[in-house]
Formats: sequence, C-alpha cells, structure tokens
Amino acid sequence: MSTLRTGQQSQEPLDLIRFQLDEFVLVKLRGAREMKGRLQGYDSHCNMVLSEAQEFIFNETDSEPIVKKTEMVFVRGDSVILVSPTTE
Amino acid sequence: MSEPTSNTDPSNFLSNIIGSSVVVKLHNGVQYGGNLQSIDGFMNVVLEHGKEIAGQTTVKSYGDVFIRGNNGMY
Repeated sequence: MSTLRTGQQSQEPLDLIRFQLDEFVLVKLRGAREMKGRLQGYDSHCNMVLSEAQEFIFNETDSEPIVKKTEMVFVRGDSVILVSPTTE
Repeated sequence: MSEPTSNTDPSNFLSNIIGSSVVVKLHNGVQYGGNLQSIDGFMNVVLEHGKEIAGQTTVKSYGDVFIRGNNGMY
C-alpha cells in the first residue's frame, strides 16, 4: 500500500460514500445535470445505481430545470462530478 | 532512493494537509472550499462543510461532498 495514508485510519474518499448507501444523495453530473436518488450501489469508477431517482436538466434559457423521474437508474462514473448527501 | 527531499513529495504533502481547509478548483471553473477529510491516489476528495464558489459568490453549501478525482485541477 504505497497510496496515501491519512494518519490514524486509512479512510479513503470512496469509503466515505459507503456511509451514504441507502440514503438520498445528490449527484452532480457533466452537462449541467443533477440526479437525486437513493444510493443503491457504486463502484470505484463512481458508477452508481440510484432508485426513486429524479434527474434535473438545467437549461440556460429556462430558469426551471427539466425533471425526469426514474424508478431505478444506472449512472456511468465518468460523468460524475460530485456526490453529496441530500434530503428527500 | 531515500532522498531527504522525500518528505515533500506530493502524496506526503496531501496527507499532511488532511484536516486543513482547502480549495479545490474543477475543470469547469467552479471552486469548492472546505475542510479536507480525505483524499486518495485518484485525487478523489471528500470535503467537510463544502461550499460551492462560482466566481466570487458562494452558491451552495453541502455537509459532506465527494468530488471525483478527474474533475479536480488543484
């Protein structure tokens, strides 16, 4: 293990996503899109499976984003920018 | 091999600044500030009390943010 050591425990960023499994998360994506949903799973590429998901597509012209609801969705990791816990 | 300068290599620098407050700038120009909780070899980053800063103004804040490594510039 020549990777980074964080001192006391080796808590890597991906370990910290694990605490958000089965919780609602906000995933910011490339192309001015966001996804909210319950985190069912993820891997080291940040591929993610969300249930009860809502996709928000932001538009320069409209102030209101387009919302698409999906029961279960797979998000490819390379478009992920940011993951954060959210409510609802 | 074991140069005395080895304690300033990038990964040591990054593990030394864990816990301190940092700014991460993304390719799209948006910056995120917060306390560095964790970072790995891909430069995936977790910030505590993360704030999204676009231009000069704070746009949004999050409790914890995970930022995928490929988006980070510094």
